[in-house]
Formats: sequence, structure tokens, C-alpha cells
Amino acid sequence: MNFDYSETQRNLCEKVKGVFDTDTEASFAKLESGDDDAIRIVVSKYLKTLGQVGYLTRGLENGKDTVGLVAAQESLARISPSLFLSVEVNARIFGRLIAVYGTADQKSQFLPDLKEGRLIGTVALSEGGMNIENNPLHTAGVQVGDSFLVTGEKNHVVNAPIADWIAIAGKMKEKIVFFVIKNRSKGLSIGQRLPTMGYNGMAISTISLENCSALSKYVIGPFEGEAPLKTIRTWEDQILTAGSLGLMHRCYTTALSYAKNHTSGNKPIIAYQEVGFKLAEMLTLLQTAQLLAYRAAWMAETNNRETNVVAYCAKVFCAESAEEVASQALQILGGHGYIDGNPAEEGYRNAKYLQIAGTSTEISRMKIADGVLKME
Amino acid sequence: MDFSFTEEQLMFKEQVMRFATKEIVPRVQEHELKGEFDFQSFRKLGEFGILGLHFSEELGGSNADVVTSVLVGEALGEAGVDGGLTLAYGAHTFLCADTIFAHGTDTQRKKYIPKLASGEWIGCMGLTEPGAGSDVASLATRAEKRGDKYVLNGNKMFITNGPVSDVAVIYAKIGKDLKHAGISAFIVEKGAAGFSTGKNLVKMGVRSSHTSELIFEDCEIPEENLIGQEGAGFIMAMQTVEWDRSALLAPFIGGMTYVLKKCARFAKERYQFGRPIGEFQAIKHKLADIKIFIEAARSLCYRIAWCKDQGRPLNHLEAAVAKLFIGDWSLKPANDAMVLHGGYGYCHEYEVERYFRDSRLAPIGGGTSEIEKKIICKLI
Repeated sequence: MNFDYSETQRNLCEKVKGVFDTDTEASFAKLESGDDDAIRIVVSKYLKTLGQVGYLTRGLENGKDTVGLVAAQESLARISPSLFLSVEVNARIFGRLIAVYGTADQKSQFLPDLKEGRLIGTVALSEGGMNIENNPLHTAGVQVGDSFLVTGEKNHVVNAPIADWIAIAGKMKEKIVFFVIKNRSKGLSIGQRLPTMGYNGMAISTISLENCSALSKYVIGPFEGEAPLKTIRTWEDQILTAGSLGLMHRCYTTALSYAKNHTSGNKPIIAYQEVGFKLAEMLTLLQTAQLLAYRAAWMAETNNRETNVVAYCAKVFCAESAEEVASQALQILGGHGYIDGNPAEEGYRNAKYLQIAGTSTEISRMKIADGVLKME
Repeated sequence: MDFSFTEEQLMFKEQVMRFATKEIVPRVQEHELKGEFDFQSFRKLGEFGILGLHFSEELGGSNADVVTSVLVGEALGEAGVDGGLTLAYGAHTFLCADTIFAHGTDTQRKKYIPKLASGEWIGCMGLTEPGAGSDVASLATRAEKRGDKYVLNGNKMFITNGPVSDVAVIYAKIGKDLKHAGISAFIVEKGAAGFSTGKNLVKMGVRSSHTSELIFEDCEIPEENLIGQEGAGFIMAMQTVEWDRSALLAPFIGGMTYVLKKCARFAKERYQFGRPIGEFQAIKHKLADIKIFIEAARSLCYRIAWCKDQGRPLNHLEAAVAKLFIGDWSLKPANDAMVLHGGYGYCHEYEVERYFRDSRLAPIGGGTSEIEKKIICKLI
């Protein structure tokens, strides 16, 4: 048993923090209010610097350190929630898809650029009312010579408007495959960026494909069963869990600083129990969530039969705690919290996404209960 | 970070669960319902080695680390031992015996620890008073040095094991104007002149542990019964708080696992509308929430234990966070477990109502949730 970070884990977190300098706030303001081009510029800039400190290689190389990954992710999510999700979808979803399931040629083509932050990628999974638990994919490819003609619709694809490459989950002769397609390919149209409640600096849109050509050398799969879809979902859940920690930390530190510096009745408002006790509850949720998320990450590297159940527990607890902590932070900031552009109101809007995206809290709870019912 | 237990620790946990299931759990319902202290089970805990686990071998212990001690607490709860007996064990081993073990002289250790470790003697600790609970510095029990004796005057309140104890560790103030600096710890034995206990208080939960007032009226004790130095008591009390907020919390977590297993079984066996209620999402939601609480709470407890094992002193923030979370956040899942059982859950036979009552102590005993928040506020 050991509750301390290792030297390597601590170093990576420090390096991630070191990437961001004095012009960071200005960059992120552009990210939150910018158009697709502005977002692309900011994301590309930080992908390169994060690549230089080794942040992007995690999960793409042999040797696991999921706890270290979560710690580093938390560090980034504390600094910019939107950048965090863009980077993670690129590195830990698109990148891992290639690293885990790709061919040797695909790996040698994509991985060096991904590790150094020279390309932006994404994976298009969701369709219409589809969830991977109950509904099949409708997007499908038909082989014509050395390529596939892919047709289908994808919803809510993070990074789609700014991506260089998009991996489309679909079917080929009833088996699951991923068609990796270059953006702006013929037959591929990226919808207008969707305005969202939170994570405003994250570019998200629909994708439609009509006889879009995908070269067979860029096809990943085919796979028996739906295991890769489920695996991608666990990666997503892990990102959202770490993102929840970053969000909570960001909101908590903002509220703590405000409560220590804002005075009322000649004393800092933290001295009032109505404020101070809220901060105590927020820190309690944050620390409890951290330990649970780290333990879930640690379990991912063991053969424990409860690994999946604990990962769902972490996803639900961290995501729901994030909303609570953001809400309390906003309350402490009072009128300042209600004004656009502070971490508390931003966190409050963002928090809902964490409960909806990946495995929703509803589905997570049902899966946890399924695990519990097997206990006895 | 590494959240693993050693093979040895896990094997010991299994042994404790098997022992408790066979020797103790069958007696729990009867004693809890009558509100009777189970002397036989307490002695069995001693014979098995649980009461003195972390003490040195020459004093009747096993030299166990703190993580293992917490694991044992969790195991007892998980086996189905009631909160009354685990509280009695906690007050005895961690609040009373550990104070003597950690701060006493060799003579005091040799005199008291072996008998406390075996369960031959039962221990209690007296800090809280009728007028001084969370505000420790305001305690009014006085100790006055007269020749080679100390004379104690005052009352202690809500003392777990009070009516059944043979040895008490009592905190009293020397000097009227001193606050924390005057607090000192003394050993008082059963039968000391001027020492008596009040009647057993009838409580909502943890009913098989006996709780009472301790009364000191010109109670004379030999000067060698002072633990450590005069005025060193406050720091001792703070150190016991760490135990309060780790080893004493572990049975709540283990107990919740016991309850969750009962809920899962009930949800599969209870049919309504032609199917097991475990197939209804509303029931599954409750099962999930109980499980989430257990997984969230567990590492908080072990973090304090691990910090203590590393020799890090007084982990106040970690302890307060653990106590606050386990206290306040356990109430809903404890309620869920009872509601999931419907009418049966309200009946004693199904045990979940006992757990519901027992767990209600978690946000009150050993520092209320409000005090934990106060501590956290001070440290941030």
C-alpha cells in the first residue's frame, strides 16, 4: 500500500503545469469564445508543447501507469477543461485506438505525429438514438476494389470540426470496423459546430458520410463482437473521471481563494461557517473522489474481478461530485460567480457533460447493480 | 500509488471473518435487542488476538501495523458483527489501551496492556463531559496533586464501556486557568475510592455497547497513574482521534458491505409484479448507491492508517475528511438499504434497521461532522 505519487508521476504533473505560462489565460479566453479556427490554433499549440513533455505518449506505449495518467490528466483538466477534452479525445481515444488495435503500418504512420502533437484526431461513435449497449451501428462500408465506400451519420463528435483524421465506427459485413478517414475527404461532411451549454472551447459537431471513400489500409478491424466499442467507452469514462477531478480542483481553489480574500463585516468570508463549511464539504468530496479515481485506475492494471464495477463507481461519484462542488463554488463567489467566464460558473455548466458523456450515470448505476447482484 | 494489501493481510482478514461468523455473529441479535454487553464475545475477541493486535508481542499483542488493524475492523463489520461490539472494541483497544501503550511508562504498560490485550480487563476512555463535548479545552474535571496522590473531581459523559470497564483513561485539568496546556491523562481503576459510574444510557443504536457517566468525587489515585507528563494530555487525546477516525470507522464500512450483500440477496429473492425486485431500476439504483459509498469511503480510512504506519504524526486533515465523509454520506445508503427491504427492513430480524441505527452514530461520535468541518476550515 502506498498513497504517495511516485517520483515519475509527480514529475509529469509538474511538467504539465510548466507548459502553461503567463499568456495562458488569454489563450483560453480565445478557446472558450473562439471559432473553429481559433480553437484549432490553440489546441495545436498546446498539443505540441504537451507532446514535448511526454504527456501524449501515455496509453500509447507499452508499460502501464494508469494512476500516473490520471494524475497528469487531473493537472491538465485543472488548467483548461475544454483543452483537456480536446487533447484527450485526440491522444487517449483516437491515439489509443491506433496503438491498441491498429496495424503496424498504421502505427508507424500515426503514432509519431500523435505523440508529438502534430495531428488532431477523433473517433466518431454515437449515432442518432444509439447507445452501444442496446443498438447496433447503422454506419456501414461496402468494399469497392482497394477501398470502402462508407455511408452513415454520426452525432456529437468531439474535435470533428478541427480534426485532421477521423476514425468512424461502422460495420462491414456485420462486423465492427473503424474507417480512418482524412478530414475534407470527398463524401464526408462535417456539420456546423454545435453550440453547447458547457465546454465551449471544445469543437463538437455531427458528421455525415455518403459513399465516402476509405482506403483499406486505413481500416482498423474487423472485430468479432463489440469489445472494441466497450473498450473505447472505458477509455472515455476514465477521461471523464479524471476531468471531474480537475474540474472540482479548479472550482475548489477558486472558491477558497475568494473566501480568503473577500471580506464582509471586517473578516474574510471563510471565517463564516456558512462559507467555510461549504469549502470543507467541497474538499471532502474532492479528496474522496481523487482516492476513488486513483484506486479505479490502479485496479485497471490488476486482474480484480471488480475492476469494471469500481471504474463505474468512480465515474458516477466523480461526475456527480463535480456538479456539487461547482455549485457550491458558484454560491461562495456570490454575484461574481454568476458572471460569465469565471471557473465556478464554467465548472457548473461543464459538470453536466461529465454525467451525460461516456457511460451515463444512469447506465453506470445499472451496471454497478448488475455487479452487486452477482456478489451473492 | 498502490492500493494493494499483502497476501498475509488478506489471509488474516479471511480468518477474522470466519472466526466472527462462527463465534460472534450468532450472538449479536440477542444482545443487541436486549441492550446487553456480550462479555463472552468480547473475551473471544481477546483470545483471537484482536484486542491487542498492534501491541508488541511481549505485552500480549502481535506487532500488527495500523493498516492490518483497520482491515480487522472492516472484517468484523463485513462478517455481521454489530456496531455496539465493534465500538466497545474500538474504545477499549484504541482509546484506552493504546494511550497507555503509546505514552505510559514500562511499569504501566506491563501492568495493563497484557490484561487489556487478552480481554481479561475492559478499558474505557473519558474525555467528554456533560458540559464539554466538542470544546475539549473547556473540560471541567480537575486533578489536584496532594502528596503522592492525585485527587480527581468531575463528571465524564457518554463513556463507551463505562459501566463494564476495569480500567479508565481519564483526561482532567491541572490548574484552573490553564486551557489545553493543563489537560493531563490518568489511569483510574475500577473500585478506586470516589469513582463510580452512572446508569447505562439507553441509546438509539450501538446498543450492545454500554455507555454511562463516570463520576469522580474526591477520587484518589496514586501519582504513578499519571500518563506521561502533567499537561501532555491534549496531544494524547488528539492522537487517539486518529484512531477514532480510521480504525473505529472501518467497521461502518465493513458493515455497509454486509448490508449490501443482504440487500442483493433480498433483491433476488423478493418477487413483486412477477419478477425479482432486483430487476427494477429503482432498486438497482439503491444497490449502486450503496456500492458507490463503500468504494468511495474505503480508501479514506486506509489512507490514515497508511500515514500512521509511515510514522507521519497527527494526520488531522485526512482524518477529518474521512470522518466527515463516512459520517455524513453513510446516512443515505444506510436508509436505502432499509427502504429496499420494505416492511421487513423496519423489523429487527432483517438486521438492516440495526445497521441504520448503528450508523447514525458515525456523524456524532468521535467528533461531530460540524467539528470535522471546523478542523478542515482551519487547515485550509
